[in-house]
Order: sequence, then structure tokens, then C-alpha cells
Amino acid sequence: MLLIQAILNGIFIGSVYGLIALSLTLIFGVMKIINFAHGSFLMIGMFTTFLFTSLTNYNPYISLIVVCPLLFFLGYMVQNFLIKSVLIAEQDIREPIGVLLLTSGLWIFLDNIFMVFFGPDYHALPAPFSKLSWSFGDLILINKARFFAFLVSCLAALILHFFLRHTELGRSIKAVGQDREMAGLLGIDVYKIYNIAFGVACAIVGIAGTLLTTFYYVHPNVGGLFGIKAFIIVILGGLGSIGGALLGGIIVGLIESFGAQFISATMTEGLIYIIFLSVLFFRPSGLFGLRYEW
Amino acid sequence: MNVKKYNFPVLFILALFVLPFFFSSPVLLHVLILVYFYAFLSMSWNILGGFAGQLSLGHAAYTAIGAYLSTMLFLRWHISPWVTMFGGGIGASIMSVIIGYPCFKLRGAYYALSTLAFAELVRVLITNTDSFLGFQINAARGLLLPVMGHAPGYFQFVDKQYYYYIILSFCTILTIILYFMNKFRFGYYLAAIREDQEAAEALGINVTWCKLLAGIMSSFFTGIGGVFYAQYVLYISAQSIGALHISLEMAFISIVGGKGTIIGPIIGAFLLTPLAELTRVYLAGTYMGMHLVFYGGVLMLVVKFMPSGIIHPLRMLYEKIITS
Repeated sequence: MLLIQAILNGIFIGSVYGLIALSLTLIFGVMKIINFAHGSFLMIGMFTTFLFTSLTNYNPYISLIVVCPLLFFLGYMVQNFLIKSVLIAEQDIREPIGVLLLTSGLWIFLDNIFMVFFGPDYHALPAPFSKLSWSFGDLILINKARFFAFLVSCLAALILHFFLRHTELGRSIKAVGQDREMAGLLGIDVYKIYNIAFGVACAIVGIAGTLLTTFYYVHPNVGGLFGIKAFIIVILGGLGSIGGALLGGIIVGLIESFGAQFISATMTEGLIYIIFLSVLFFRPSGLFGLRYEW
Repeated sequence: MNVKKYNFPVLFILALFVLPFFFSSPVLLHVLILVYFYAFLSMSWNILGGFAGQLSLGHAAYTAIGAYLSTMLFLRWHISPWVTMFGGGIGASIMSVIIGYPCFKLRGAYYALSTLAFAELVRVLITNTDSFLGFQINAARGLLLPVMGHAPGYFQFVDKQYYYYIILSFCTILTIILYFMNKFRFGYYLAAIREDQEAAEALGINVTWCKLLAGIMSSFFTGIGGVFYAQYVLYISAQSIGALHISLEMAFISIVGGKGTIIGPIIGAFLLTPLAELTRVYLAGTYMGMHLVFYGGVLMLVVKFMPSGIIHPLRMLYEKIITS
């Protein structure tokens, strides 16, 4: 029965991984930007939730009202003032690494600015919240916070899918991702779409941050590991595929959870890297992604 | 050879060699040793990352392997680190072939991510292994080298001057090697590969072989750098020399200084390492992590405004000065 518990936990945490990977694949798929700062945006979302909840004592899920617009705004600004000029300068280079380096610098900058202001202490939401759970018999405990995280992640993925497919803005984003010049020729303001897409992606990762805060600790460096896992999931699920990202996240969550039953928890990290490398070498287009072309 | 052009660099190196006779403050020597250490590592990274154009974000794997291999051999069989140093370097080279062969198929961001994953994998493996084939690895506790006091035969000294001269000599030797590498055909092959890999292949250059060779050279010297670290600090752990931030620092210093150039990493190290040390010394007490804030900020500024590195405006200034 421990196995069922592991499976459930894996699915729940995996859905949050998937949500983070979803936002990353939006950025990666539309703008071909490697965003190493994604973990930092997650961390900003987590801190916002934590501060909001500490100051107002409301339910943490209410902080979504603050987190989403704030992160959207932040993402929009970062893309507009920081990344755009480097993108324009590098648009003719086949393998633009300038943005990769820029976002790496941003990652280190953001993580450590928060370290300076908030210190290296670990924070967590007030105790009762993360411990509530339902129990089925004696054997299966479903942690409420993780379960809600799973629900909200799936809901957010569905909303995003609907947004991309059935709204004008969403379709513009998809168009820009598929063929930038053509989209520009059709009258779409490509750079404004980039800004909006980046903002939306940051808002989504903010949601993931809020969800994580309900059962995970908050610390300035917490984003790094999630960021790297998100990349692994994006490549596993395939570039540009939203369903793939969510599914990939759940798979990674399951592997971690399962693996932890048989090998030590620190080794499961290595397992993820091994899987990542195998996917990269043998099936670079991932499970659901577009054909690998570079 | 344009003699006047090399006046300044040669004089600068000579001045650095003579420096300890005038300034013997251990703090200054320590900062300079760190500067040379990072310059050495960044120059090694630059062989693969700058000259060959393959942005590797997992070079910390090679420092870790160099340091660990050398220390493991030293601890078990008491061979002098001067000899095991080469063992570490060769071990790192073998690892680079194992990593490089599958990874070189990938390009750009995918290559960067795969090297990052490999380095993290190496770190996780080291942190979870207590002993391997009779060698002590000590998992997360790290390896402590026996303090031998002043033992030149075992690469250990009490005064910092010796370390200073050793690492400075390493840097000078590597600079000379890089200079001649660029003069030979191999340097031109690498330049062709970095500019346009398909065109280079079309010209008949064996791209895979060149990239592998660049990787071998790069990882060999990186491994030796790792051994120097082990002998200087006398304590190694996967978290100290195998961690992601070491990989990133090597790449960032080279990129900030100037990616495909010889002196670029040196300038980058002279700029960033003292900045890091000074902020860590003066500000880390009250504001922890401040030096990394500067680090990230400088990197972002350089990428945005001077993407080919600081070396280029500096070089133009220098040429203007010597031709006037």
C-alpha cells in the first residue's frame, strides 16, 4: 500500500512540476529562449504568497489575486527591457546563446537579491495548512494541499490550452511560435506578443509557486532545482507541447516518488538526470514534441 | 612578430612574477592566487567554449574528477600529487570523451543542458558513494588531505608564495600553449567550426575529431586546476568543486572577458574574482550573497551592451595607444 501512496504523491507533485514545465515550454516554444531564470520567478511567486499570507492571514490560495498580475507584470518588463534587445541583436545567429547567458545572470541576480533582503533562512507557511489530509482507512493519506495543487495545476493547464486555441491572442502566440516572419507579415506585433507570452508564462509559474508554498519550504535558492527539473520535463515531453509538459511532469514526479522507495532520495536526483540524458540522445523530440530540428 | 604589441603583456607577466618580493601580504597573495586559479580554469574552459564554440556548462565535472582522482590516488598509495596531477588530468580527459561523444551531436542550448546534466550526475554520484574499488570517496563528507606542513615533494606548502608561483606558472604555460594552438592549423579548424559548423564540415574538416580533441585539451587542464585547488585548500567535496556554480563561474568569467580570445578569460578573472572576494569579505556579514548579485548584474550588463566581452573595447583602446 506504500506503493499506492507513492504513486499518488508522485502524481500530485508531478502535476506541479508539469505546470512549471508548461510555462517554460511556452517560452521555449514561442521565443526559442532558454530561460534559466524560470526558477527565480517561481521563487518570487513563492515569496509573494508567503508574505501575503503572513501579512493578511488569509487562505494562501487567495494570494493568487496578487501573484498572477505581479508576475505577469514582472515577466512583461523583463522581456521588454532586458531580453528584447539581445534577441534583436542575435536574430540572425543560428544558435543564440546571448539570451541563455542573460537569463543565467538574471537567475543568479534574482536569487541573491532575495538572499540579501530575506536572508538564508527557510520559511514555511503556518503549520496547520500543510498537514491537513484525508485518510482512507489506515493506509492512504491524501495531503489536502498536494491534492489541491494537483487540481489547480490541471485546471490551469486546461485554461491555458483553451486560451491558446480559442482566443485571438492565444492564436497569435501560437502563430508567432510557428513562423515568426509570417506572423509579422500578417500584421501581428511580434515583440508585443513576446512580451505577453513571457508575462503569461511568468504568471503561470507564479501560480505554481503559490501551490508549492502550501506544502514546501520557501528559500531564495529553492528555484534552482525546480528550474532544472522543468527543463528536463520540457525536453522529455517535447518542445511546444502543453499536454506533453504536464504529462512529462507527472512522469518525472512518479519516477522520483517510486525511485525513492527503492534507492536513497539523493540518488533519485541522479536517476532524473540519467533519464534526461537518455531522452536527449535517443529521442530528442521528446514524447509528444515536434520533430527535432535545429 | 610585432614586437611592440607584446611589450605590455610580457611586462605585465614579469611584474606579476616579481610582485611577491614587494608585497607579501597574505591577503593580497590569496586574492591573486584565486584570480590566477579562476583565470586558469576559465582559459581551459575557453578552449572548448570559446575557441571551439561549444558552450559547456558542466565543466565542474572535470575539476571534480581531477581533484578526486588525484586525491584518491594520493590517499591510497601515497604517490606524490605532482604525479597524480597528471592522473587527474587524464581521468578528466577520458570523462570528456565519454561525455563529449554523445553530446557533440547536439547543438547550442541542448548541448549546454546535456553537459549541465552530466556534471550534476557526476556530483550526485560522488555525493552518494562512500568508497569505490577500495578508494575512499567519503560521499558528502568530503576528502581531507593530510596536512604535511612544508612538503614540496607532496605539493604542499605553508607559505602562500609557493602556491602563487605555481599557479602563475601554470597560467603562463597555458597562455603559451593557447598562443601556439592558434598559430597551428588546429586553431584555424576550431575557428571554422565555431563560426559555421556545416561549412567547416563541407570543407573536409573532421569536426567530431576536432571537437573531441578540443574537449580533451580543455578537460585536461581543467582537471589540473582541480588538483591545484585540492592541494591549496586541502579539503575537497562535491559541493565545493563539483557544484553548478563552479561551472557557471568558469563560463561567465570567459564570456565577460571575451569568449574566443586568449587574454579574455584573464581579464575576466582579474575583474570578477576580486569583486567577488571583496564583496564577500566586506558585505557578506550583513548582506549575504551580495557578491553574487554583482556577479549576475555584471554578466547581464556585459551580455546586453558588450556581448563579445570586455576585451574588445579594451583591445581597441590598447591598439590606439601603441600606434600613437
